[in-house]
Formats: sequence, C-alpha cells, structure tokens
Amino acid sequence: MKKSKKGMVITLLSVLLLSFMLSACGGEKSGQMGSGKGDPVKLEFWTISLQPTFTDYFNKLIADYEKTHEGVIIDWKDYPYDAVTNKLLTSIASGSSPDVVNLNTEFASQMGSKGAVVDLNQFLTDEQKQSYFDGIFNSTVIDGKAYALPWYTGTEVLFMNTKIVKDAGLDPANPPKSQDELVAWAKQIKEKTGKTGYSTQWVSNLFPKEGIKILNDDKSAAVFNTPETKTILENIKKKIVDGVIMKEDVPFTKQIQYYSSEQVAFEIAGPTFINFLKTSAPDVYKNTIAVPMPTGKADVRLSNSMDVVVPGKSKHQKEAVEFAAFITNADNQTAFSKAANTLPSTKESIKDPFFTASDNTLESQAKIASANSLDKAVDYMVGVPNASDINSAIARGLQKIMLNDADLQATLDAMEQEVNQVLKK
Amino acid sequence: MKRWVWTESYTAWAFMAPGLALIAVFVFWPIIYGIPLSFTDYSVISETHYVGFDNFVTAFHDKNFLISLWNSLLYVIIVPIIQIISIMMAILVNGKIPGVKIFRTAYYIPVVTSMVAVALIWSWLLSNNGVVNFFLLKLGLINDQVAWLSTSSTALFVLMFITMWKGLGYYMMLYLAGLQGIPSDLYEAARVDGASRWRVIWSITIPLLRPHILFCTLISLMGAIRVFDEVYILTKGGPGTSTLTSSVYIFQKGLEQFNFGYASALGLIVSILVGVLSVLVFRFNQKGGVNPY
Repeated sequence: MKKSKKGMVITLLSVLLLSFMLSACGGEKSGQMGSGKGDPVKLEFWTISLQPTFTDYFNKLIADYEKTHEGVIIDWKDYPYDAVTNKLLTSIASGSSPDVVNLNTEFASQMGSKGAVVDLNQFLTDEQKQSYFDGIFNSTVIDGKAYALPWYTGTEVLFMNTKIVKDAGLDPANPPKSQDELVAWAKQIKEKTGKTGYSTQWVSNLFPKEGIKILNDDKSAAVFNTPETKTILENIKKKIVDGVIMKEDVPFTKQIQYYSSEQVAFEIAGPTFINFLKTSAPDVYKNTIAVPMPTGKADVRLSNSMDVVVPGKSKHQKEAVEFAAFITNADNQTAFSKAANTLPSTKESIKDPFFTASDNTLESQAKIASANSLDKAVDYMVGVPNASDINSAIARGLQKIMLNDADLQATLDAMEQEVNQVLKK
Repeated sequence: MKRWVWTESYTAWAFMAPGLALIAVFVFWPIIYGIPLSFTDYSVISETHYVGFDNFVTAFHDKNFLISLWNSLLYVIIVPIIQIISIMMAILVNGKIPGVKIFRTAYYIPVVTSMVAVALIWSWLLSNNGVVNFFLLKLGLINDQVAWLSTSSTALFVLMFITMWKGLGYYMMLYLAGLQGIPSDLYEAARVDGASRWRVIWSITIPLLRPHILFCTLISLMGAIRVFDEVYILTKGGPGTSTLTSSVYIFQKGLEQFNFGYASALGLIVSILVGVLSVLVFRFNQKGGVNPY
C-alpha cells in the first residue's frame, strides 16, 4: 500500500515535470535568415484559404517580386479561415512570427488596437496611402496609425428573388433605390405573398449604416444614446412587426437557408453569397438578380475587406512592408480581382473595363453592383482597444430591443453605460 | 536498507504513464498555468503585465459575467430532471419487454451523435417555419409562429431541453449498468413480502443505485455548468444575454477578444463554484449502494 502510494507520487511528479518541460518547448524559432549583413532576407507570407485555387497566381507574383528584389525570399503559407487566428496567436506567442499576414479588417483592427502590428505610416508615402479607397484604408487607422493595407474586398449588394417580387406585383427591373422604397416593397411582398422581406443579424454595424455615431470624436465616450437613435430603432422595430425584417437573430449561414428555401424575398450580402446559393438552391439562383444596396441614412455601404498586416514581431519590417505594398498595389489588385472575381480596394484598379463588363450572369451583376458601391464603402470599425467588447455590448442591447421587446430607453441607457465602462478600462 | 523490488503496482503505473503524460501536458498543465495567468492581462499579442486581483474585482462587477453565472446555475435545473427521467428509462429497458434492444439503441443514438449535428437538426426543427411550430399550430397550441431560439423567455429552456435530450441515453446506460448489479434475490424477497412495484423502486432500487446517482449527478452537474457546444452553435449567448452561460462568456472573452488573463480568472471562479457544488453533492449522497463484500 505504502509502496504504491510512493510509486504514485513519483510517477505524478515525473509526469508533471515532463509536462512542464514539454510545454516549455515553444521557444524562439531557430534558423532565422537574414541575421547578418549580406544574408538573404526570408519573409514568411501567410494567406487565408487561397491555395490551391490561386497557387499559380501567387507563385508568379512571388517569382516576379524575388526577381526585382534580390536578396529577398518569400516563403508563402496558406491557412484555412478558421485556423489562421489561432495559428497567428501561437506563432507570436512562441516568438516565431510571420512577416506579412492576410487578415480580415476586424482582426487586423484588433491586432492594431493592441499594438501587435506595425504602424505603416513610417514606411508608406502619401501617394501610396491615397491609392486606396479612403473609407476602406481608414477602417484600420486607429489614433492616426495605419495598421493594415487593404487588399481584396466586396461590398453588400441586394439579392432579390424575382419570382417572389413578381408574385407581389412588383417590377424587378426597377429595384428599390432607398431604404424607404425597400421597406415599401417588403411590406407589399408580405401582404401579397406572406413572405418576409429579409433576415438579418443584430450587430453593431447597424448604427453606422443608419448614420448613428457610436463614439465621440476623441473616442472617449458613447454618443449613440440620443432621441434620433431611439426614433431609428423604433422604426426598425416597426419593420419587424410589419414583416419587413424577420424577428430573429440570423447568422449568415442561416440567412442562406432562409433565402434558399424562399422564406425571404431579399438577401443583403457580399458577392460570396452567390456560391452558397448556387450550391444550396440552383432554382432560386436562376430567379435571383443583384442590384446596388439601397443605402440607409448615412449613405454608406459596408464592405468586408481582406487586409495585409505586418506583425510587430517581424524581424524584417521594412522588407515586409515593401512586399505588402507590392501585393496590394493597383496592378496586382486588378490582376487578382480578375483571377478571383473579387473587388480591388485601389482607386486605379476600378477603372479597368473588367469591372463594368457584364455577361448578364448573377456573378457579373453582383460584381458591377458591388464595384459601383466602392466609393461609398466603409469597413466599419470602432477603432479603439476593446472594440470587440463595445461591439458585443451593442449587439446584445440590439437583440434585447428587437427580439426581447425590452424597454428601448432603458436598454439604450444600459448600453451606453456598458460602452463607457469598456472605454475606461 | 531495503532492496528495491519491482511490484505489480509499478507495472500498472508504467502502463498508465503515457496516457498520464498526455493528460498532464494538455489538461493538468493548462489548468495549473491558468492560475498565474489570471493575475495578468495576458493577451498573447501585446505585452503582459501583472494586475493583481484586478481581474477578479472586474469579474464581480461585470454584469454580463454575473448573468452568465446565473444562467449556468439555472441550467442546473436539468440535473434532477435528467436523473429522474433516465432512472425511469433504465428501469423500463431493464425489463423483459419485446424489442427492448431497439429502445436501448434508440435512446442511445443521440449520445453518439455529434453535438454540432444535434444542434443543427434542432435549429431546423425549431426555426420559424420548422416542424415544431407546424405541429403546434396544427394542434392549436400556439396561435402564431414562435421563434424558440430568438425569444428570451424560451431560448434557455429550449437549450436545456436539447442538452437533456442528448444526454438522457448516456445516463440511462449508466443506471442500467447499476440496475443489473442489484441482486435479484432482493427483489424476490420484496415480492414475497408483498411489496408493490413503487415500493420496490423506492425501497430497493433507488437506495442501491445511490453510488450511480451520485456519479451521474456529479457529471451532469459539471456538464450543466460548463455547457458550451449547443449554446455556442445555436444562440452564441443571445438573444441579448438570455442564454449567455459562463463557458460561452469565457470563450468569448478569451478566444474571441484575446483577454486571456481575464478569461483565466473567470475560469478559475467557475471552477471553484463547480468544486463547491460537487462537494455539496458528495455530502448528500454518501450512503447506499451494493456492498460486494
């Protein structure tokens, strides 16, 4: 009995010691290149879900770059969308950070607000900065520091089920241009067909879409708790009652289901929606058209951009920024848009005839509608550390108002208080 | 000086060592490491500072965390319900009913089905135009479609139901194992004494199942407080904070907002809570069972 206890203690101690040793194995990566003068600089470049579809495009891009930048070697790695965040965090934590990373704006802003990525202002010329659409470029500017270079993007467009629209006695050839018209259409659709207008997710970007400022100019306090906001939210609640918007918090995957099963007449989404629709409901795809999204009070259209950042732990920041600028310059963005059927974030690229040419497919309709919206495009970001806390607070409050019928003023007061508390942290 | 002898227990430990090593690296060490982390503002991507008890002070002033704790405690409602129903089910499938194996299998299918699949199936069944609303409307039990998962008054209870639906078969099997360990002569003696069916269940079955009840209560209690999958997949804690459970909130704080220090502190608080509740359950369930000796 005593022996077994002793054995147990010895084994447990050995196991704990072993686990400690193993967990301490995540040290600095050895074999960094370019440490000495004259050594080639090896840049680790990460993308999200672009292999194998665009392998040829990137191999050519990298070969061109290496040809013109002697002494620089690009090591390209591609990770799935779901894995890239954790992969990046663990790489940074273990001291083996990549040099150039493709991230979405939300994560890029989050990294920027925590000082984990390089401020690009020190490396970029004004001309370079002005080559991107202002709204998209400024999405990742926090406290005057530019944390990311915009890459490929897409803006929301309005997808419309022409069969349902025609059944309601409306003409899809003259789509709604404003939010008010869209509401009128949805009401008529509800009346005549029983179908709901569209489904949505109650998240914080509703405020900027409706022209509601979330924070004051110096980002020190919440400013959304106003009588105007109350009126806007009351109107949105009325839309739920009228059957314009579904009384549900619907994530994108479920929005696809609702549109595919013809439970709603419209879908507000980026061009990526088309591929999902094509797969899930080919018949509905045939009856769908894409038109520019009727704007809200703020007259902005939300874009959803992919960016390129340089982590602060990169050992070759200057070379990394140069490569990031090369990937996202107008010529390369135009080429990539043609290869991937995405939209560029550079002003010059959009002048290419490719973005106005239509072959009447849904894809090209969405591309043109989306491209025409780029001048009004904004990747909405709060732009403060703990932005995600603020977004969560607003989303939770909106859900309480829209779905739980919570008292509007009391909920707005609570949201304001919570956001101000977050800002004090 | 005693000569060291390799005994049977060393052999046993040698066999267990590889598994223990893995558990130590991936379970014990993160738990231990979480304690010092909870006193920092660790976020992986920026510099780490020691913050003392700030995270804990913040936690007890964090309205959302307190709501999530409350929701997790509410979730514990399902623990006794699960025990009662699964014991009943076990007693039923323990009999010599024709086709009993089919029932046992049917009850067990949800257990071996992935929670993601279960959650998706239920999200379709419970959607506005789903089967549940269709039948309830047909039966006249509701006048209008109910958004079960988007209505604060129903969402948490629907999630509890899904958790229960998936777990019942598992606990049923554990109780079934317990039932089959009860000597049949005890039942025969009770029958000879003229005890009714309920009397037998109440005076023989339940007392002799107590060790199983203790075990099942403990694991279902822990499961209820730590519930994550179904909540995260179906509601992400919404609408508002109606279904925000502590695990979901900790996940959001840690893996979505990178406040790992704060998330560790929340995890520690929840672990202590689970520990206290487990001790209480132990206290109330120490007697009973079949003594094999």
